[in-house]
Amino acid sequence: MEWFNKWLDTLYNTFMVDQRYMTIVSGFEKTIVITFGALLIGVIIGTIVAIIKVFADGNKKLKILDVICNIYLTVIRGTPVVVQLLIAFFIIFVSAKDGTMVAIITFGVNSGAYVAETIRSGIMAVDSGQNEAGRALGFSKLRTMQYIILPQAFKNILPAIGNEMIALLKETSVAGYVAVVDITKAANQIKNTTYDQINPIMLVALIYLILVIGLTKLLNVFERRLRKSER
Amino acid sequence: MNDNVIIKTEDLCKHYRGGVIRALDGVSAEIKKGEVVVVIGPSGSGKSTFLRSLNLLEIPTSGKILFEDVDITNPKLDVNVYRRKMGMVFQHFNLFPHMTILRNMTIAPMKLLKKTKEEAEAKALELLKLVGLEDRAESYPSQLSGGQKQRVAIVRALCMEPEVMLFDEPTSALDPEMVGEVLDVMKNLAESGMTMLVVTHEMGFAREVASRVIFMDEGQIIEEGTPADIFENPQNSRTQSFLSKVL
Repeated sequence: MEWFNKWLDTLYNTFMVDQRYMTIVSGFEKTIVITFGALLIGVIIGTIVAIIKVFADGNKKLKILDVICNIYLTVIRGTPVVVQLLIAFFIIFVSAKDGTMVAIITFGVNSGAYVAETIRSGIMAVDSGQNEAGRALGFSKLRTMQYIILPQAFKNILPAIGNEMIALLKETSVAGYVAVVDITKAANQIKNTTYDQINPIMLVALIYLILVIGLTKLLNVFERRLRKSER
Repeated sequence: MNDNVIIKTEDLCKHYRGGVIRALDGVSAEIKKGEVVVVIGPSGSGKSTFLRSLNLLEIPTSGKILFEDVDITNPKLDVNVYRRKMGMVFQHFNLFPHMTILRNMTIAPMKLLKKTKEEAEAKALELLKLVGLEDRAESYPSQLSGGQKQRVAIVRALCMEPEVMLFDEPTSALDPEMVGEVLDVMKNLAESGMTMLVVTHEMGFAREVASRVIFMDEGQIIEEGTPADIFENPQNSRTQSFLSKVL
């Protein structure tokens, strides 16, 4: 029992003294904000890129846009996100004081490249008869996409978007590289002040794990509900 | 030109691989107001391609399509405007699975004809009643049988108040016991004076409802005439051999 009391003491010293747990709390907020902000940007960019790529297939007028999209996809998927973060913070947004906005944008632009391919596959999976029916009624290409194809495509790829969200949540742990005190960085700071090498890190690992398990559960519920509406 | 003619094609061609495959090979035809034209022919004869090229779901390689004297193959025209005047019914129904039946029927009139929700829904419900499906307005397509889906697809097209209806093998994907209910709807539509172009394998329907029958093979119109001409007294040997197989 003695080791347990000792551990409680350590925990108290590490987290409670000087209200150090508040660093974890605000770090948690940052992590959540960056994750969801980036996901939103990622889905918007991903949708636009996916639509351009689908429309450019067999349309010479969109060739230039298609090339730009391909460069974007290649560069983003060909470099590590940490390096992209450093480039964004130290080269592009030099005057940014707070790294949070830079992190949201960078993770968003990064995620967009992966989401784009997911959405494109979702669009391709919608039966071509749906497009024909929309066009035959007199809808333009873009409106057919908006009213008929995309809603069905998103339904198909919701699980994949959920996975992207989970991956993104964990990826944001490198935001500390650009002076953002996210939850990982918060743990690191507490570790450095208290010389407690174990508990802050383990706590953060546990928080990530709980978040991911929670999100997975939520997604499963969502998916089941969607499948029900199909019957 | 005769102003009774709604659609006229001139030397319509659809070639693939630089002319190696000729899905359509010089089709010239006319559809007059109020006519029910049934296109028959063996599979791969180009009849579906012909129908689908009329609203430019297939872009013809060459030739003209005149819709009320306007050549709609002109790439400068907004084809969407003309598509609104041509209702289309597909073999596989192509209802929108993520919308209710009512929404399936009202989205195009509301977005494209700027009808109010009330107007569009009133019209949709009236048409649903006509095909005996008014109680399914709030259902989703997956909850309907094939025959019901196709009846909805027909009235969805009618909601746009088209001037001509194109049917692309509307009963080919149906279980046999559901063919009748769809053909009945089409028959009523024909009797109401709708101009129709129907690609089908239902020879009974062609014989009974058609004002004119076109027989196609290898991308060309081989023979056309009244149902009596075609079915009782076919002139061309290819027509004769086709009919001997299907009748």
